[in-house]
Amino acid sequence: MDALASLAHGFSVAMTPTNLLFVLIGVTLGQLIGALPGIGPSAGMALLLPVTFGLEPVTALVMLSGIMYGGMYGGTLTSVLVNVPGEAASVMTAVDGNQLARQGRAGQALAAAAIGSFLAGIGAVTALAFLTPILSAFALGFSAPEYFLLALLGITATASLGTGSAVKAMIGATLGLMIALVGTDPIQGTSRLTFGSLELLEGIDFLPVAIGVFGIAEILVSMEQTQASRAVRTRLRDMWLTGKDWAECRMAMLRGGLVGFVIGLMPGAGPTVAALLAYIVEKKVSPHPEKFGHGALDGVAAAESANNSAAHGAMVPMLALGIPGSASTAVLLAALVLLGIRPGPMLLTEQADLVWGLIASMFVGNVILLVMNLPLAPLFASVLRIPYSYLAPGILVVSLVGAYAISLSLFNVGLTLFFGMVGYLMIRADIPRAPLVLAVVLAPLMESSLRQSLMLSEGSPAIFVERPLSAVLALLVVGSLALPLFNFLLARRAARRAGVEEALSHSSD
Amino acid sequence: MIQPCAARPFHLQLKHSVLAAALGVALAAAPAALHAQTAPTGPIEITTGTSPGGTPDVLMRRAAKILNEQKIITNPLVVQNRTGGSWMVAGNFVMGKKGDHNIVLCIAQPILTTPITQGLPTLYDKLTPISMFIQGDLVLVVQPDSPVKDLKQLVELAAKRERSVKVAGAQSGSTDHMVAGLVEKAGKVKLNYVPFDGGGAAQAAFLGGNVELMTLTPSEALPLVKSGKARILAILSSERSAAPELKDIPTAKEQGYDIVWGQAWGLAGPPGLDADTVKFWDNAIAKLVANPEWQASLKENFLRSRMIPAAEVKPYMQKLHDEHLALLRDLGLAKQPAVQ
Repeated sequence: MDALASLAHGFSVAMTPTNLLFVLIGVTLGQLIGALPGIGPSAGMALLLPVTFGLEPVTALVMLSGIMYGGMYGGTLTSVLVNVPGEAASVMTAVDGNQLARQGRAGQALAAAAIGSFLAGIGAVTALAFLTPILSAFALGFSAPEYFLLALLGITATASLGTGSAVKAMIGATLGLMIALVGTDPIQGTSRLTFGSLELLEGIDFLPVAIGVFGIAEILVSMEQTQASRAVRTRLRDMWLTGKDWAECRMAMLRGGLVGFVIGLMPGAGPTVAALLAYIVEKKVSPHPEKFGHGALDGVAAAESANNSAAHGAMVPMLALGIPGSASTAVLLAALVLLGIRPGPMLLTEQADLVWGLIASMFVGNVILLVMNLPLAPLFASVLRIPYSYLAPGILVVSLVGAYAISLSLFNVGLTLFFGMVGYLMIRADIPRAPLVLAVVLAPLMESSLRQSLMLSEGSPAIFVERPLSAVLALLVVGSLALPLFNFLLARRAARRAGVEEALSHSSD
Repeated sequence: MIQPCAARPFHLQLKHSVLAAALGVALAAAPAALHAQTAPTGPIEITTGTSPGGTPDVLMRRAAKILNEQKIITNPLVVQNRTGGSWMVAGNFVMGKKGDHNIVLCIAQPILTTPITQGLPTLYDKLTPISMFIQGDLVLVVQPDSPVKDLKQLVELAAKRERSVKVAGAQSGSTDHMVAGLVEKAGKVKLNYVPFDGGGAAQAAFLGGNVELMTLTPSEALPLVKSGKARILAILSSERSAAPELKDIPTAKEQGYDIVWGQAWGLAGPPGLDADTVKFWDNAIAKLVANPEWQASLKENFLRSRMIPAAEVKPYMQKLHDEHLALLRDLGLAKQPAVQ
């Protein structure tokens, strides 16, 4: 009841005309920033920090957090329409969403993403409002051993992530692991494979890889084809979600939202990892796993629900403990400090107006985003009626400007073009690109958390089964490895038996 | 044909261009104070090497805000995050802007330590020193239920359990790592330092009860102490802090261990920055440091603002560098003796 009363008070704060206006400004900007590749929500929030100086703390915070989750909605657009992830967390959307777009179903992909993001967002804010203290304790239960097992769970799924041969998927993943090795060793601090380059000292950023292997590679391949062969011709009214689509997506949204929220809670993971794992989970439970990678609407729904609920989940450790769970919440914490508010465990009680106003504003913001995105989905999708040959130069410019914006350096532009070539060769060699991207995201987490775990346990691998949470995760890893093997053996045995019976029936003739 | 500039009186601009032409030779002789009001034209970039939200980023944004709001500097100040290479991308960007009036670099610890740990040419002695003007303390914290009550007991415990008292901190070579090294050196013990991906992740590991010891800033530590999630063992300054919340915390020195370490931030210009612009910054920072709003905002976060002016900053930076080099050598993290 206490929480309800506080929430009601929060709404009275969030619904003042000024705050409402700034929520609107925040989510609109977030939508735009999310759609532009390169500038992610955290960079966008930092750009707008000086604007917030004159504002009330609540007003400033509702706007900045609006950018954070608005970005999760906006990232979908470029991923689906032009296969360039608008921000890192939309990378799995680029895989399946763009395939859907080519089948003339961009409208459905965008609508499913918007509804999924909305439902997951509302669910996550509700959990945030009522369970923050409990959840923050749960979040702290995750540390290096759990992160390692989580990353392992993702990495072991790479073989199944390809659409063709498992060996080719593993080649893709190995390439990704090699990319992830470049940079400073996370424990020793020595440089690895940087060849004296300062730009490589902090490793290869994920975005140049993703923009390169998806967006740029796609343009390169399109140049081999005759012009105007790829314009999608669908009428506006064919672009709405049908009842069948909805039935396909609704459980995916629920699962994606849950997975995303739990992973968002953990200070070490973040929305990108959340979207990847939700996509993998969805593929495992889906009745049609073969469609993943070729345009699975439920894959898009799961990944998009996950990244939005993860963005909200990251608010839990930030509000309850003052620990940033993601790059975006780090900027929110900075904003608090700049506004003269000290974050920490006392924030929930000392700044109740601020915290509850913020939480209530997130309900409002998500509603605005749904209203903004759902009716416009077919409209955005009709961008694809422009022949690809006219669209391609624009995509190239937006991709390269985005690459430059990551750290304001031309080095990343070169890197993006290089990975465009890599992606082109991968398409030509029929090596799936999703495992590469997945490995680039998960490998650093896996490496550093493995080494941290073993340092914490002074070398004993028992740390991965001793802790209750890690024991559960370890079981899941074993299960996900054993299940396909078990299925395979079972299928072979059935086949053999069938063969034997056939032979018997033959011999009796 | 010279276009009169709307923002600044014409004669100043003329003087400015003459000065720029005569740069180097004339300035060494001419007393710079005569041209104290010569401000650069146009927006000024403050380059930082952290991503948005990092402490130096927050400090520079706050300084920029007050400098602009109080009209101490009328040029728009833009804080730019040029991340990569543990501040070396930011550092080298400014290094490449020789004599540029419209850019300054935020000086933070990695500007000193990254060249040492990566075996790169030093930057601190090639940039034009302007001023160091923000200082911060550090405290050592343990778990609230830890049997360790003071530094002596910590050292005893570490002696009993060699390399097994777990310390969380940021990346290898960070402030946290160096403090752990100082504790090891002062107590003649070995700790188990576990580097996490940044201070936030380390703090999460500490709050989850995975490690026993950690270094925090007072503004990070006090809310945790207040809510019973951590206990402070010692403050690492040379004297006790004057802040009421901190005055009862004993220094490490008082407890018999020579562990004095802190954080410092400031500004430096690109190489070959003319004395006039240095003077302009020196004046601006003197006014900033005297500003009550600035002082209050730092005090809130338990930071101090004592100005080390341009005239004195060179030997100060030299000393700071030598201390870092010695400590990183002890930790086995110095890649090459960066003495030049």
